[in-house]
Amino acid sequence: MAVRAQFENSNEVGVFATLTNSYALVAIGGSENFYSVFEAELQDVIPVVHTTIAGTRIIGRLTAGNRKGLLLPTSTTDQELQHLRNSIPDTVKIQRIEERLSALGNVICCNDHVALVHPDIERETEEIVADVLGVEVFRQTIAENVLTGSYCALSNQGGIVHPQTSIQDQDELSSLLQVPLVAGSINRGSAVVGAGMVVNDWMAVTGLDTTATELSVVESVFRLGEGQVPQNVNTSLKDSLVESFY
Amino acid sequence: MAAPPPPSAASSQADDHLKRPLYAFDLPRDLLNSLTIKGSATHDITPTTTEAEATKDDDKLKDKEPDPTSGMSCTLCGVKSKTIQEQRSHARSDVHRFNMKRKIRNQPAVSELEFEKMIEGLSESISGSESSSTEEEGGSTDILSNLLRKKAHLNPTQDEDTENTTRKPRSPIIWLSSPKLPDSTYLGLYRAILPADTVENDVPRLLQTLQTTPSTSPPTAADPHVFLCMIGGGHFAAMIVSLHPKLAKKNGIVEREAVVLAHKTFHRYTTRRKQGGSQSANDNSKGTAHSAGSSLRRYNEAALTADVRELLSSWKEMIDSSDFLFIRATGTSNRKTLFGYDGAVIKSNNPKIRGFPFSTRRATQSELMRCFVELTRLKVSKIDEAALAAADAASQDAASTASVSAKSAGPTARPKLSKEELAKIQHSSNLTTLVRRSKAPAITTYLTSNKLPFDFYLSPQIHHTPTLLHLAAAQSHPLIVLALLTKGEKSADPSIKNSAGKTAYEIAGDKATREVFRVARMEVGEGKVDWDGLGVGSPLSRKEYDEDLEKEKVVKDAEEKGRREKETARLRSLPDGGGSSSKGAKSLADVLGTNPGAIVREEETKGLSEEAKRRLERERRARAAEERMKRLAGK
Repeated sequence: MAVRAQFENSNEVGVFATLTNSYALVAIGGSENFYSVFEAELQDVIPVVHTTIAGTRIIGRLTAGNRKGLLLPTSTTDQELQHLRNSIPDTVKIQRIEERLSALGNVICCNDHVALVHPDIERETEEIVADVLGVEVFRQTIAENVLTGSYCALSNQGGIVHPQTSIQDQDELSSLLQVPLVAGSINRGSAVVGAGMVVNDWMAVTGLDTTATELSVVESVFRLGEGQVPQNVNTSLKDSLVESFY
Repeated sequence: MAAPPPPSAASSQADDHLKRPLYAFDLPRDLLNSLTIKGSATHDITPTTTEAEATKDDDKLKDKEPDPTSGMSCTLCGVKSKTIQEQRSHARSDVHRFNMKRKIRNQPAVSELEFEKMIEGLSESISGSESSSTEEEGGSTDILSNLLRKKAHLNPTQDEDTENTTRKPRSPIIWLSSPKLPDSTYLGLYRAILPADTVENDVPRLLQTLQTTPSTSPPTAADPHVFLCMIGGGHFAAMIVSLHPKLAKKNGIVEREAVVLAHKTFHRYTTRRKQGGSQSANDNSKGTAHSAGSSLRRYNEAALTADVRELLSSWKEMIDSSDFLFIRATGTSNRKTLFGYDGAVIKSNNPKIRGFPFSTRRATQSELMRCFVELTRLKVSKIDEAALAAADAASQDAASTASVSAKSAGPTARPKLSKEELAKIQHSSNLTTLVRRSKAPAITTYLTSNKLPFDFYLSPQIHHTPTLLHLAAAQSHPLIVLALLTKGEKSADPSIKNSAGKTAYEIAGDKATREVFRVARMEVGEGKVDWDGLGVGSPLSRKEYDEDLEKEKVVKDAEEKGRREKETARLRSLPDGGGSSSKGAKSLADVLGTNPGAIVREEETKGLSEEAKRRLERERRARAAEERMKRLAGK
């Protein structure tokens, strides 16, 4: 199920939320509209937690996580850490990382098995990512961009990467990740797919501006609609969408 | 009367140089004259075959262009993998990561072989340095980060090939070799303690001109000296150390001592707790904070800066005349404290300024001293050239093996000990234990039963006490000394000297031990040993010796007895040392808070009912009041 939402007139859903298979983090906004979108879908399935990180609302860009763990930047306060610990299931490891590249959501892109990280992150961080999230870590770029987290949205079913990623790169990445990938845009042509949407294995939330075609690509590659398989996109839709746009 | 050469005659002199720390500005003359640069002959030991292989391999790469349709390849590095595992391990390899960073910088990718060659040059230059030997498990990634750092310094616009061939990465340490040293042992000298534009081949000549002559008189500020300072996190430490060491006697051994001409440390609370960073940095980025802590820190930062600048200006003369200024000040605020203000003592473009070419800890005086010692002490490293060459020949993982072998052969590595040497070390430790327990007969039986000579050389070699006789004399065991000198078919030779040129007699710990040499003179006779030359007094019979000891004992006993009597008399004369002396003082129970009376009372009331307890208490108080009245009336 892919739904559209807006956080205080902003389409960048991935900036204000983090969604995984075992919890969801949502920024505290002026109204509860944004939160309601998540709650409507996820209530009684996984906890949806209102939080700030280091007092800011851009929690999606500062945190990175999957079913097994959650990584927070050093700027996270003790109170926030405690609140998250109390709200998130005990099986999820929470770890604060001392990393110069502190916007972890921008530099780490992961599902429950693999993570693509910024080529310059510290060695210790790489080890922590592997340990806490229980993933294989690869330092990669996506279409020459080092911010893997911004330019890639990933779930266990599939992934969307920057629209200008070459076919060769897509094939390589998809072979590394062992999930099908498509190059695509979000929010009416935005290239920052990682920051423009959030996704887990059952639902995706995109910006309100997302076009129907973009949404259908999302639904098919993440296998969110009924009877949709990624192959459909790879064959017919992809050609009509991606190549003709760029 | 020359001392007989110690057992390991050939290597002893060579090892001798390495036994004591080598101070860069006061090297042994013969060693100094024989020093040569290590790299001069064997700097580039890469065999030419690798070159050929490399080109061959490049050709191969071109032939087998990876199939662009396959996902299991790496277009970045031009590598084609057969399995997913292979592809994944490649994606995590250093060469892939290195290529990725080059791509970000718009530089062409390198092949695996080229990459290995780059690392080779690097690992050679970093081998033996302490920092690398401590990070051994860091392994290849450390090499990668080193390589990246090195490459980052190079001008990216320059042609890649010329860069590789002409510009070798400059290591912070210059390695020197000498025929006076054991095989494959090299001395490392920090480049930082040499003038700025030193050519490597000039180093041995330059070192000769830099030598100092240590003396027992303390050096003055006129002698060459260096300035060291560190600032960071609110800590500041500065020190001016003379390069002229002072000779000081410690336990009978003359040792060099670094002379600190001036030192000062400051600490102020300036860093933001939990958040990190300095207050000024926070103010600059987020605007002025108004908390109590922030104003404290702001004040302290200003105060620290003022303190430091005042100190620097008071040291101006000494700093200006310093040979080098070793400064660690990272971050703009720290640098601003030291440089670039009105009337700054140190100019940031001063060519004498050096950084510390190794990692340093918090700025304290002891850390500065450690850094000074680290800088001026020559590093001793064993590098197995053969192993290096062999590792190079194995083309696949040449880089990793070479670095590992060089590292493992670092300062701590020792050549394998032979069986005899091991046995000797065992004997030495046994004998040392016996000496410590003062078991003279046990020592003679041990020596004879193991067929060891009485002038047994301890191993591993000890400077102060090379022989068993020296050890026994230094630890004042007269009976053992006597046994060693008189027993056995070939008794110990008292004329053997230790590394400081002292005989056993000269380092004897007390009078009884010195006297025992006279007894030995009597028993051994004049023929064998030049007793007068050793300074041993006239011969003394054992009987006389025992009598002397006895006499001394009697005198000492009498003294002790007198002292004891005096002491008891003094104690008696004190006014009443018993319990009543504590008139004004509190009793022990009061001090400790355990009043025995209270405890007893509690015991009494334990089993009683509340009513009974109250009655008892009333009774007790009444009695106490009566007692007080009685006392008052009595007065």
